[in-house]
Amino acid sequence: MSDRLGGLVAALLADDGSKPWPGAVPRRLDNVLGSMPVPARAGVRAAAAAVDAYAMVRTGRRLRSLTPDERETVLASLAGRSSLLPVLDAVKVPVMLAAGTERMIHEEPQAALSMKPPEDPPLDCTSSVEWPDRSTADAVVIGSGAGGAIAARELARAGMRVVVLEEGRRHTTAEFGRRAPLDRFAELYRDGGGTVALGNPPVVLPVGRAVGGTTVVNSGTCYRTPDHVLARWRDSFGLDLADADSYAGCLDEVERTIQVDSAPMDVLGSNGRKALLGAERLGWEAAPLRRNATGCKGSCQCVVGCPTGAKQSVQLSVLPDACSAGARIVTSAYVRRILVERDRPGGPQACGVAVRRPDGSELEILSPLVVVAAGALQSPPLLRRSGLGGHPQLGRNLAIHPAASVAGRFAEPVTAWKGVLQSVGVEELHSEGILIEATAGPPGMGSFVLPGVGRALREELDGAASLATLGAMIADLPSGRVLGARQTLLRYDLAKRDGRRLMRAIEAMGEVLFAAGAEEVLTGIAAAPKARSQRELVEMLGGLTAKQLHLSAFHPTGTVALGSDPQTAPADPEGRLRGVRGVLVTDGSALPSCPEVNPQVTIMATALAVTRAVAAAS
Amino acid sequence: MGARGTTFTETMTGSVCLDGESEQRPIRLDLVVRTDEVLQPHRTTDCVLTGRVRIAGWADDHEATGEMEISPLARRRIRYRLDFTAQGRRYSLDGWKSISPARPVKSMTVLPFVLQRDGEQAAKGTLRFSIATQLLPFLASFRFPRADDSERHLPPRWDGKPGRTEVWYTTVTDPSTGTGLWLHHELVAPTDGSDAYAHGWVARFPADGEGPVEHARFGPQPWKPMPAPHQQGFTSDGIEAGPGQLRGKAGPFSWEMAEHPDGEPLYTFPRWSWRRPLLPAAQIVPAPNASYTGTFSYDGGELQLKGAPGATARIYGHGNARRWSWLHADLGGGDVLEIVAAVSMRPGLRKLPPLVFLRLRKNGRTWPRRAERSALGWAGAGRFRARIGLPTWSVTGRSGLRRIKVVVTQPEERTLALDYKDPDGSAAVCRNSETADARILLERWWGRWRTEAEWSLDGTAHAEVGDR
Repeated sequence: MSDRLGGLVAALLADDGSKPWPGAVPRRLDNVLGSMPVPARAGVRAAAAAVDAYAMVRTGRRLRSLTPDERETVLASLAGRSSLLPVLDAVKVPVMLAAGTERMIHEEPQAALSMKPPEDPPLDCTSSVEWPDRSTADAVVIGSGAGGAIAARELARAGMRVVVLEEGRRHTTAEFGRRAPLDRFAELYRDGGGTVALGNPPVVLPVGRAVGGTTVVNSGTCYRTPDHVLARWRDSFGLDLADADSYAGCLDEVERTIQVDSAPMDVLGSNGRKALLGAERLGWEAAPLRRNATGCKGSCQCVVGCPTGAKQSVQLSVLPDACSAGARIVTSAYVRRILVERDRPGGPQACGVAVRRPDGSELEILSPLVVVAAGALQSPPLLRRSGLGGHPQLGRNLAIHPAASVAGRFAEPVTAWKGVLQSVGVEELHSEGILIEATAGPPGMGSFVLPGVGRALREELDGAASLATLGAMIADLPSGRVLGARQTLLRYDLAKRDGRRLMRAIEAMGEVLFAAGAEEVLTGIAAAPKARSQRELVEMLGGLTAKQLHLSAFHPTGTVALGSDPQTAPADPEGRLRGVRGVLVTDGSALPSCPEVNPQVTIMATALAVTRAVAAAS
Repeated sequence: MGARGTTFTETMTGSVCLDGESEQRPIRLDLVVRTDEVLQPHRTTDCVLTGRVRIAGWADDHEATGEMEISPLARRRIRYRLDFTAQGRRYSLDGWKSISPARPVKSMTVLPFVLQRDGEQAAKGTLRFSIATQLLPFLASFRFPRADDSERHLPPRWDGKPGRTEVWYTTVTDPSTGTGLWLHHELVAPTDGSDAYAHGWVARFPADGEGPVEHARFGPQPWKPMPAPHQQGFTSDGIEAGPGQLRGKAGPFSWEMAEHPDGEPLYTFPRWSWRRPLLPAAQIVPAPNASYTGTFSYDGGELQLKGAPGATARIYGHGNARRWSWLHADLGGGDVLEIVAAVSMRPGLRKLPPLVFLRLRKNGRTWPRRAERSALGWAGAGRFRARIGLPTWSVTGRSGLRRIKVVVTQPEERTLALDYKDPDGSAAVCRNSETADARILLERWWGRWRTEAEWSLDGTAHAEVGDR
């Protein structure tokens, strides 16, 4: 099978043997695929086999044994068929991941080794293997991400014995500094980052899985919840906790805790500066983003764990406080179900959790309070397999902030992967539900897909240093749904309005890039890859639909929404799951609707408001 | 509380790994589980645990206590919480079986647990219930005893029929002075249909050589029954014998004592004979391990009782026996022996030898299991035998793998003779001593008769012999 992958990689990257790094890509690609879910792995391998078979039919030999020119011919004839372009694109994504890493290792080896990692604050982490089969606690928090960490800290500070359960393991800053980005990538993300919401178009929806949750791998952008969103939550959904004054107190405390400040200009990087320049020339509102990384060194590796410890992910900022207040973290602990006592007078009462260890054995923790903070994609299946998924709206109402990205080619080098990963926000169109953020991942890990195959792609790769990339996310309608109980299955049908917003967002990003001096703009759309002017871009987009876009999303919310209407909200305005006593919801799934900005601070502030009330009552 | 409770025993063995040790130690739990309700598998039952915890080379506590939550279906959990002492420190064992329909046997027999000291984990381990060796004893140990409360036996039972007598009598030994006390409260409904009356007496039995036995009678007074909720015991002319208290004044005596009942009611006669008065009379000890605190004044002195052991017994029937003997022996540690040996006044029955009702409560279990066993044997064969006489009388008998020999001595100087009068007017004489001596030998057959227990009561046995 690796022979087929090797052939495909050689063809896609136009490997002519002149440089050593493409030769190492197939092995790394094999590792990448190993961490992906079975369907994704099978799909890539089937595509590789199909391309190999095509080469066999066309030339009588397999891709591996063809010369570079022959491979180019075979691939060009494939790429000529427009219906096959999406398939090739799908195969390209993991290949680019592996290629980006190998290229960096071979061409800039010192980048991974020159950092001296600081010591992380201590955490009381125990592997589930070491944890006893039976134990008790006053509160169990499922998930150690933004919502779970805050809940654990508040409850522990209230004097409760708190156990935090985390499916992933603890990763230290030192570890991030030692290992190559892609090696961390596979372990830090659920499904190796290959979580996909089915729909037309499908949406890649990566979520973190580690002590610290997605905050370990997010970009660190920290927006306060917009006032109009809070007003909507209070007035339309009956959330008293969303009262602007009291919520502001929670936001302030969260910002203090994770040290939110504007990204410093000195490490902003060329990518961000291009965005600022473009916006300034257009007269648009733009500024460096507020982030939880005051000492940022511009490593541009936020999405695979900050190697300098500057980003105050919750495992560095909130969980240490929780642990010093007595909370304990159990890692490698997959919560199989919440235990419920159904014969209690007054109705069912949660009484603990059953947890599966990596070796398949189980442990149980009894606790009168269970805090669900497994994330918007995992909380609904957890509740379903616990027999608590009876509410018709559970798992629905999924908003994800669909995002598209474009790149601008400049005459001078930009080297987007040096500087702050997500650096500048262009808020001109925020009132239209569009938020543009200058975002550039480590090589191969950005959500932007380079156009072309074979030599064209290789040329793009070699010229990647002169690309600046922007991303835009839109405030979407809750068009998604989380299905399944044992396995999560995502469905997301992009609303027509949101499709229009996305096209408008691409147009706006092109405008910023051209204004900044870009020679051409790469759309990332296979059918219309490049435009050399804004007019050309607008004309090109006129002939496209949102279904042709490469969409990714990073902010799933709303699947166990809080609300005063029992018909539409699975949880009440105080965060208690309806239909059972003793279950609190404090993660992104609790948000009643799309927060319209990067949601970390919002999730944390909501968790703070919910758990404070419980802690005060206890 | 339901009409019946549940008790059973369970033994589990396994291993435990103490924190800081690399080797595992064997552990064994021998538990007695009790609850006030009948165990219903589909519901949740909270039980009380007592038993023994043994951890090789580290702990052996016979007096472990705790709680158990049995809910195999509703909560799919059987939880054990047990406190015990090891190495001079208190530990608590907390664990539960998590019932899984997919693995019914494993999940019902495997008990993972942790040991905690002061809320901190000190060890973890796993116990297992062995189906091969423990299932039969476990199933055979199930009992569903009636939930019995001593207080419900105290209100008067007399239903207005003539020819009945009803007695509340309390006997106490003051451990500090060795004095015995006897408070006898009696309701008599004469056979001739005349009005029922209440009377009784009080007697003080000084310890050996410290003076003569003294007594005083009270009554008779017409019986004035009160409405049911208020009539909780004997009440007549300022003399009360009710739940938790005894007070009164008679002659030179006055007393005010609080009664703290303890122990399950002891049915000296068959339980059915107390519920349905078919026998000429029946006796019951509602709280065989009661203790008394208060004052008892007599001519020339006063006793200050502090937790003095004793018991209140009840009799209801047609009158006194033709001949009888009675013993109440507090054996210590909650063990008690109660004997009534009697020859009935009924024609035909009066020709029989004394019927012996012997009840030994030892370690919470009553022997013989059925009261009829000692009286009737197997159609007379194997019945217990009594030799009634004075100053010494005895009872011997064998049931199952145990046999008992009881010899009671009532020295004349420590015995009080009183005239009794039945509802039909016939007289009897009772010779009572609350400072009697008793020798009790309990043996068990194990290849040969081996002594299981031996008690010697010097001046602390309560006994009487009656005849006509």
